[in-house]
Amino acid sequence: MTKKAIGLAEYNELTQEQQLDILHRDGAYVGKRKIGQQTVVLFQLYGFYVEVYYKQYRRQIDHTLATNDVNIVHPYFDQINIKGLNKDKDDK
Amino acid sequence: MTKSLPPKSLVLYADDDADDRELIREAFEEFSSLIDLVTFDKGSELLQFLQNYTPLQPGPCLIILDVNMPGVDGKQALRKIRMMDHIKDVPVVMFTTSTLPSEAAFAQAYGAGFVTKPLHTQQIHQIIHELINHCTDDVKERIRNQKGN
Repeated sequence: MTKKAIGLAEYNELTQEQQLDILHRDGAYVGKRKIGQQTVVLFQLYGFYVEVYYKQYRRQIDHTLATNDVNIVHPYFDQINIKGLNKDKDDK
Repeated sequence: MTKSLPPKSLVLYADDDADDRELIREAFEEFSSLIDLVTFDKGSELLQFLQNYTPLQPGPCLIILDVNMPGVDGKQALRKIRMMDHIKDVPVVMFTTSTLPSEAAFAQAYGAGFVTKPLHTQQIHQIIHELINHCTDDVKERIRNQKGN
């Protein structure tokens, strides 16, 4: 399947199933955090970010939050793999 | 006359994420009569396990490696596995949160599969079958037979 980058507005128009398919296919994992018992995973997708809030990790999703606000990355700073990012940049 | 059952096949899985290890452990329960899943929370522990393996023992039928692990990561582990004479031909799958083309290309270059971790339940079943599909043919055959019963 050919990858087609879409914007935040277009992403928000998709059904949740379509959003999750795209996120699984093209999303770049940023990190994982816990809010109490809830697990939250952040992905970068094209030019924006998507947080997935789980009821049960990798099984049942409570809701997702898509935003282009870079501040969403702050809670994940300690997990960002700079070595990996540099490697990918070097590969290009 | 006694009928002996074939020994269980061995699947090895290294991942530093305890939640993901638990997820895969539960998903493989479906095949527990055929497959023993052994998990490691460090790539180095998996390599040590493999180094202690003798060529006389039946080798694992599949090795699943998380890519991003502290210490010996999945890519380093894969390189070392491919240098171990008695293990180098075992199917390996990189099981990852990454969708980076460079990482998929790395896996391909070392003859390994590349499977992205699931987001939700519906994908788990599909992904476990993708993992099983990388197993050796005899294991796949036994799984097919089990499902046929």
